[in-house]
Amino acid sequence: MIRLDAQRPAHFCDGVTRRDFLYAGAITTLGLTLNDYLQAQQTGQATRDTNCIMLFLVGGPSHIDTWDPKPNAPEEIRGPFRPTATNVNGMQISEIFPRMARHADKFSLIRSVYHTATAVHDTGYQMMQTGRLFAGGIEHPHIGCVLGYVKGARDDMPPHVLVPRPIGRTGGNLPHGHTAGYLGRPHDPFILNADPAVPNFQVPDLLPPAYISAVRANRRQRMRDAVDGAMQSFENNSQARQLDGNFQLAYRLMSSPRAREAFNLDQEPAAVRDRYGRTRFGQSCLLARRLIERGVRFVTVNMFETVFDEVTWDIHGSRPFTNIAQMSREVVPNFDQAYSALLEDLTNRGLYSNTIVTAMGEFGRTPKINPAGGRDHHPGVWTILMGGGPIRGGRVIGESDELGYRPKSRPVTSGEVAATLYRGLGLDVHRELPGPQNRPIPLVDFGVQAIRELF
Amino acid sequence: MLSVFLLTCTLSACTGQTIEIQPAVVTLDGPGATQRVIVLLKRGTDIVGDSTVNADFSSANPKVVRIDSSGVLHAVGDGDTVVSTERDGEFAFVKVKVQNTKKPQEISFANHVIPVLTRLGCNSGACHGALAGKGGLKLSLRGYDPDADHFVLTRQANARRVNRQEPARSLFLLKPTLALTHGGGMKLEVKSPEFSVLANWIANGAPGIATQDTKLTRIEAFPPNAVLEPKDTLQMIVRAWYSDGRSEDVTRLAKYSSTEDLVAGVNDLGAVKVTGHGEAAIVVLFGNQVALVRVASPFANDIHSKVFSTSPRNNFIDTLVLKKLEAIKLPPSPQCSGHEFIRRAYLDAIGVLPTPEEARKFTEDTRPDRRARLIDALLERPEFVDYWSYKWADLLLVSSRKLPQPAVRSFANFVKRSVAENKPWDRFARDILTARGNSLRNGEVNYFMLHKDITDLTESTAVTFMGMSITCCRCHNHPMEKWTQDQYWSLANLFAQVAIKNGDRAGEFSVQSAGEGDILHPRRGVAMAPTPLDGKPIAPGKDRREYFVDWLTSPDNPYFAKAFVNRVWRNFMGRGLVEAEDDLRQTNPASNEELLVALARDFVKNKYDTKKLVRTIMLSAAYQRSSSSVAGNKDDDRFYSRYIIRRLPAEVVLDAYSDIAKIPTEFSKVAVGSSGGATATPDYPLGTRALQLPDTQLVSQFLDAFGRPERGQTCACERGQESSVTQALHLNNGQTLNDKLRNKKSRVEEWVTEKVSDDDAIRRVYVLALSRIPTDAEFARFRKLLAEAANDPQVSRREAIEDLFWSVLTSREFLFNR
Repeated sequence: MIRLDAQRPAHFCDGVTRRDFLYAGAITTLGLTLNDYLQAQQTGQATRDTNCIMLFLVGGPSHIDTWDPKPNAPEEIRGPFRPTATNVNGMQISEIFPRMARHADKFSLIRSVYHTATAVHDTGYQMMQTGRLFAGGIEHPHIGCVLGYVKGARDDMPPHVLVPRPIGRTGGNLPHGHTAGYLGRPHDPFILNADPAVPNFQVPDLLPPAYISAVRANRRQRMRDAVDGAMQSFENNSQARQLDGNFQLAYRLMSSPRAREAFNLDQEPAAVRDRYGRTRFGQSCLLARRLIERGVRFVTVNMFETVFDEVTWDIHGSRPFTNIAQMSREVVPNFDQAYSALLEDLTNRGLYSNTIVTAMGEFGRTPKINPAGGRDHHPGVWTILMGGGPIRGGRVIGESDELGYRPKSRPVTSGEVAATLYRGLGLDVHRELPGPQNRPIPLVDFGVQAIRELF
Repeated sequence: MLSVFLLTCTLSACTGQTIEIQPAVVTLDGPGATQRVIVLLKRGTDIVGDSTVNADFSSANPKVVRIDSSGVLHAVGDGDTVVSTERDGEFAFVKVKVQNTKKPQEISFANHVIPVLTRLGCNSGACHGALAGKGGLKLSLRGYDPDADHFVLTRQANARRVNRQEPARSLFLLKPTLALTHGGGMKLEVKSPEFSVLANWIANGAPGIATQDTKLTRIEAFPPNAVLEPKDTLQMIVRAWYSDGRSEDVTRLAKYSSTEDLVAGVNDLGAVKVTGHGEAAIVVLFGNQVALVRVASPFANDIHSKVFSTSPRNNFIDTLVLKKLEAIKLPPSPQCSGHEFIRRAYLDAIGVLPTPEEARKFTEDTRPDRRARLIDALLERPEFVDYWSYKWADLLLVSSRKLPQPAVRSFANFVKRSVAENKPWDRFARDILTARGNSLRNGEVNYFMLHKDITDLTESTAVTFMGMSITCCRCHNHPMEKWTQDQYWSLANLFAQVAIKNGDRAGEFSVQSAGEGDILHPRRGVAMAPTPLDGKPIAPGKDRREYFVDWLTSPDNPYFAKAFVNRVWRNFMGRGLVEAEDDLRQTNPASNEELLVALARDFVKNKYDTKKLVRTIMLSAAYQRSSSSVAGNKDDDRFYSRYIIRRLPAEVVLDAYSDIAKIPTEFSKVAVGSSGGATATPDYPLGTRALQLPDTQLVSQFLDAFGRPERGQTCACERGQESSVTQALHLNNGQTLNDKLRNKKSRVEEWVTEKVSDDDAIRRVYVLALSRIPTDAEFARFRKLLAEAANDPQVSRREAIEDLFWSVLTSREFLFNR
């Protein structure tokens, strides 16, 4: 057992104690590096690693219709919904989230997030998932991939799992920031690529068919390694190295009992599955909890795969998009149910104290309702949710102006959101990662700080 | 005087390094006008360094122009003169004309005041350009909305910001100079040129934006290109030109970014610092204009020029590739072997593997032109038609996602017929873009059904045929290109007269030119004159689509041929000259611009003949290079010093599995809608190859996992080329490959029945899948593994051979073209 408050015997010159060294062996078996341990000790954080579930609300929820109501604004801005009280004094959200309102003590609202890049979905995905807008040919890593890179895998589980699928095409032409970027493909998230809500859901091809025994599977891998033509061409090629890395990871997954169990939603009682909602998003949230329980460090849940051909938060009003009414009928209850179930479930299992849950879209929506009865892209200001682990609930950070156009106080950038998650996950925001050609790149840009009011 | 300078320069040019001042000719217009100049070191015609810091300047007539030690020319009095500098006995000079020094300075709000505010950072995101503004003053970010800024500065805050009666009492001047407290601190020195711009503007009555204001017409950046080494620095100069013929130094007002930070970075003031090897373009933005400075940083290789002069040159491609390689100091890899070539050529040109028989014949062919003969033969194969039809169907989004099945077939047949007859690409584009008539008879008509919305039609057409994304300009001027919103809506209006009428049967409708109708510019509320990009507006009475295609396919069109050759080049070379292949824009330069131009010119000269283009590329020594690196070219991923290996497309892998296992893939279900449902279809008899499918909606877990494009949006990015764990899991545990190998009619079964020996099995799998004989080491390893399997009582001979197939068919050598 590791005790962080151990008395202090003699220090070595470098400040590391003898006792610390003894512990270090134990620590590495838990997937911690000595640096992380020392750092945790300095900041007084628990060594029980913090995990994170990031719910990505693809399409960009309208802040005014959801978590930043403007009851005093003119009708064409305030929209059809009224605010409702929550279980936190003075914190109001839209009436269309009755279940969330009962759990407001578990999450905080950041009502002053904004970005100044082009108002297309893609830029928001980049910034919210990596903390940065991509420029100069550099693709930054997803926060979950950074966590996996720094802390490594726990047991046989991939450190970062993305469910159910990556965000597909949403109009722009840019990378979405769900990969490990410059950290390299081996640190990409494991992508589920299946809908956990379909009956008899299984991770496609996770298990070998009955006719391939373990011995045979193992021999196949060795035979595959026996083909080594053009070795040098392949060693020099990142795509080819990635192919082999993926074969290795696939083999680890298919031979791990823990991994099988983690993905098996059938082990959940029907009542639990119902509580999350039998939707793709609801069951993805449930799967996220199972994965965290079994050693995954970070789960990204994309609420939708695209903003076309689906009823999403992208409420432009005209076809093929949703309007406000359709959002409140279909999208909102789906989220309200799954999100509240997740908070409840994690709390009941004692996981919420070391699991951050954050829900965010890529931007807000125009305060003024458009002629089609919808709202368009508005990165000027929007609201995101965060709680769990060391992140306090029941708080409201920042505010937007009276009409919901832009931040009125404490504007928050995507870099600060990332910094907050990194700090919550126990990572030093000034830590440097090996960027392209080993150029050091800090987790967040110099001067960017976590939102301290949330800790 | 002048002739002396010229003489000196001419002489010194022979000695190696020379110096030059840029810009070479400067006009200073108005009192206080300035222009910075730089002293550049040259070797031959290359600019190889910046020695401004060490330069001493002298003005031939200090009454006309004064130059300070940092290289800034200051107007003193009207006249013409020369400023010179000397280095080791060599001279360089700049011709200076100074005019209008007596004329009062005219200050334009848009051209002067806003750039000053931008330069001082007043309207930056951290200060008054923030969304909420700062201290009650809110300016548009970097001045994108001058009208609003003028209103804010002259009308808001009780008009105290700008005091026209007593300019000196304007808050606009008092606060940034700290005469009054200013949250942002000291920003403006009272004696600075910036102060005088702002003060003079107020003194002139703080005029706003006037329609007769001179407009920014272009910018130029100096030096246009340079060849530098890591750690070198270079100060760029940016000069703006206005509609009245005036120029100004805007170096400190422009915005800079690098396309490759890892080769060369640039700071906010235009100082370039080289950090690595390769090529970078420094992109300069000022107002709505773009300029580029290309920086080459040759690799640290010492290569004898003989390496390049003796490297094979099969046609003009090689001349230009080798020219680039020599300039950037990358040694070319040698030519690939015969067995490498045949596999590569088959896969790249027709998407199938050579049969063992074909491979043997080629290897035994001793004629020196056997590669050329093979290429010619491939161009006439029916699989060539399948492969390229599939490619263009990807581009044109032929799919039952949006089209009913009969329409899909009609559209796919049009594409296939066109490829089969090697229809010239300009004709192909014309047929599609001017399509009319019945959708089931004229397949090309379906293009308009897929893009019913005029903006979608405009944008998709730009990507499809010009490799250009103009979507940004729908709502505002392009942030990375010169295109404006006005140009977008002028272009879109060329597509505003397409009339679609529904027919009686499924997928039947007709397209006609309407002869009337306009699309309105959403901000202006008017129809713009229908005009191609940078083209002339259409004359009344002409068919708009015809007019557009005339412009598009004219030999002088700067985009059409380039966009196409870049796509074909990428198919064979693994990386587009411009990458991504459909992202041609001024700010995304080609890795070898000269080659792209030459290929496009050759393509036009050959009347847009696709097969000739394919042949030219495949014949080049650049295409036929080995993928193995030689000392010094390991890090090259874009200059074609070696063949760039890449994963095979999903459809090619699947078809190869079918061929090798002798078990065709079943395509019996077609996906309906996006909800995951599917219905049975009898349209694709067993034996239909993946590359023959007219539609990407046929259910196939394999094709999905390996990145088949959805054909939903016109974008090359739809095709996934990455490898993933999902793919690895599918090959390990999924049905596609396992079931083919296990099938009772498979090649595995045949071999087991004929009691194939281990050695025969190993050799034959290699020849089938990799078009080569295994090495001794590979033989040894496989013999051992097969012996181990033979001793395993749980594993049958049949299963052991299956595993042998499986391992070769999932190896990277199989899954990659190299």
